[in-house]
Amino acid sequence: MSFANSAGSSNRTSPALECDSESPKVHPLPSNTRAKEQKEARAQWNPRRDHGAAKSQNQKTEWWVRYPASLALIGMATVFSLLLRPILEPANLLMLFLLSVVISALRWGHMAAIVAAVSGTMLFDYFYIPPFFSFAISDVKYFIILTGLLTVGLVTSTLAGQVREQADAARRREAYTASLYALSRSLAVVNRLDQILEVVAYRISEIFERPVLILLPGDGGLEVGFSSPGLVFREEERTVANWVLEHGQQAGSGTEIMPGAEMHYLPLTASLRVVGVLAVKARHGDESLSPEQGQLLEAFVSQAALATERALLEQKARQAQLLQEADKLQKALLNSVSHGLRTPLASIMGTLSSLSEDQAMLDEVTRRELLDNAREEAGRLNRLVGNLLDMTRLEAGTLRLKVEACDVQDVIGAALSQLREAARSRPITVDIPAHLPLVPMDFVLIAQVLVNLLENAIKYAPAHEPIAVQARLAENDLEILVSDRGVGIPQGDLHGIFDKPCHGARVTGTEGTGLGLSICKGFVEAHGGRIWAEPRVDRGAVFAFTLPRHANAASPGR
Amino acid sequence: MGNNGPRVLVVDDEQGIRRFLRASLTAHGYSVYEACTGEEALQATHSVRPDLIILDLGLPRIGGVEVTRCLREWTQTPIIVLSVREQEAEKIAVLDAGADDYLTKPFGLGELLARMRAALRRATKQGSGPVFAAGDLKVDLAQREVLIRNRRVQLTPTEYDLLKALVGHAGRVLTHRQLVREVWGGMSYEDDVHMLRVNVSNLRRKLEPDPTRPRYIVTEPGVGYRLQTEP
Repeated sequence: MSFANSAGSSNRTSPALECDSESPKVHPLPSNTRAKEQKEARAQWNPRRDHGAAKSQNQKTEWWVRYPASLALIGMATVFSLLLRPILEPANLLMLFLLSVVISALRWGHMAAIVAAVSGTMLFDYFYIPPFFSFAISDVKYFIILTGLLTVGLVTSTLAGQVREQADAARRREAYTASLYALSRSLAVVNRLDQILEVVAYRISEIFERPVLILLPGDGGLEVGFSSPGLVFREEERTVANWVLEHGQQAGSGTEIMPGAEMHYLPLTASLRVVGVLAVKARHGDESLSPEQGQLLEAFVSQAALATERALLEQKARQAQLLQEADKLQKALLNSVSHGLRTPLASIMGTLSSLSEDQAMLDEVTRRELLDNAREEAGRLNRLVGNLLDMTRLEAGTLRLKVEACDVQDVIGAALSQLREAARSRPITVDIPAHLPLVPMDFVLIAQVLVNLLENAIKYAPAHEPIAVQARLAENDLEILVSDRGVGIPQGDLHGIFDKPCHGARVTGTEGTGLGLSICKGFVEAHGGRIWAEPRVDRGAVFAFTLPRHANAASPGR
Repeated sequence: MGNNGPRVLVVDDEQGIRRFLRASLTAHGYSVYEACTGEEALQATHSVRPDLIILDLGLPRIGGVEVTRCLREWTQTPIIVLSVREQEAEKIAVLDAGADDYLTKPFGLGELLARMRAALRRATKQGSGPVFAAGDLKVDLAQREVLIRNRRVQLTPTEYDLLKALVGHAGRVLTHRQLVREVWGGMSYEDDVHMLRVNVSNLRRKLEPDPTRPRYIVTEPGVGYRLQTEP
């Protein structure tokens, strides 16, 4: 947008000022308005067409307008002079003809000025030089007057042409500066490597009207970072690209090195090294760029190189940071997992040793109690290991959904029966609308989600308070809610509660690895559903998730 | 302890499991024999002629599925498979290969004993009598009659066929595929599993006091259904 305006506004003085005042935003991607502006810009300024001789306005005025116009001007001068004839001397009237020649030179150029001078001379001769109404010349002094008229016309037009040429050159420089400026502005607002490549390729292909290819070094040699639509990087060209990357010099079509190549390859030379290769493809017909265009292209490419280098460095820094965070997360998880594993093990080992060593001192009731406790702890251990396995499957990306149409009531029932003892002591109400249709899902995984949510509710709600499981149909989703009357969730933890490992108050308690909920999230999202937590009206918490009623992304397996 | 009880072959590569099973099963009157690998299991079945085999699914080299397939070529000795939670596909494979039942590790002894009793009962009286009874449910195959607390329940023909298939293998888990094959002849699995779920849901609504917590037709997640003999 900024480029198009500034390039098009060749009559104004400062493209920079104009850019700032008119287009504060720079869009890296073309839009409809952009396309229109581009067209205008191209019509007014086109680096490929207007190098060389003086052009500008009279370039646009066709010859069949220019010559008749200058003739008409001379005609008007003649008529006007004839009207003034009674008052003025012919020598004074000559000025009118001179003026017309000068105007023609300024407005319509060289050739129009000559046409005006010759025709003006002839008309002046015809009307004002004896013998009147004839083209004959009787006196030498009139010959001098006529020669003067012609000379003035030619000299004026040449001078005017030079002025125009200078103005053109200035305008062109201005446009070049503007386009470079536009590029740097576009690059300033994008950070991601792919966006930068796109902006560069888009700008260059727009200005030079050639498709652009950007190659970046990857693990297996140069890889296509961006390519204009329809442009294919042919394997035969790889040698040229590699040479350019290695030597940091241009090569390929239009250069002296490997000119037989299909494209013109330029190195993206940044401050530290060559970060990639940019190729432009010459169109059939007009192959080479003018020296001026070549310079502009190089300026573009060096800007692109700097931006690319910046993005690559940023990418590296980001990766390092991510690794560091992952490492931290891993450590936190490991800590909480080893804690989670040791606690039940401690109870079990304690029970076993007291049973084998202090047998005589234990009465039947105490023994029962110890054993029940140990069994419960073992169950906890088992669930933790199951969670860890689920988490591993999720993280490794090896989770394969076995999506089949399932009976929602059956899934809820399976979850309840898996909870066994824990659920038996609790009032759990189940509310499922009659004639709920089958919903596609992975039965085992969704049952596990419910088990985890119910366990969570059991853990945080007082023993006598009921837990409600509710299923209902929304327009495109099945919604399942697990509501408890527990301590609830602090507002700040509502979002992070499904992340791992959770440090929220709700999960750092007795059995707190926070794995269960993050597994729920993983499983639900693998189905294309959503999961969230919200405070329950009055007291407690609601954990809810949705499953799409029509599985289109997930493929049914067996 | 009495060594004239049913002979049980325990096949597991984990010594801890074998020790625990030997001690507990011996205490319950079974004669326990042990094997650590699939090869040993095949040999021991020949020499010991057990009444029941407890087979670990995750054996090294020759796995539980392969062992089951080999055994089923010449013997119908009931096989109860021990598996872990994540092995759904293998559970189905081993059941389809002819295993009678499975238990997920870790399990309680009570659960194992119930499964063993059911399997032995099925093995000794082939083609059980025309009347099946469990809790308040009574199915009279001769009369095509289903009763809950002695009140007749109206079933559609498909629902009845499904119940009949379950009664025919009462106490034992039937995979979706096995049920589909038995009830519909099983040409297109996807459609039939859909029908299976709908019919199970309908059956439960007619038979179960609380369809969300079924007592008779219980779901084995990811594997199939089982008709409980001791609800």
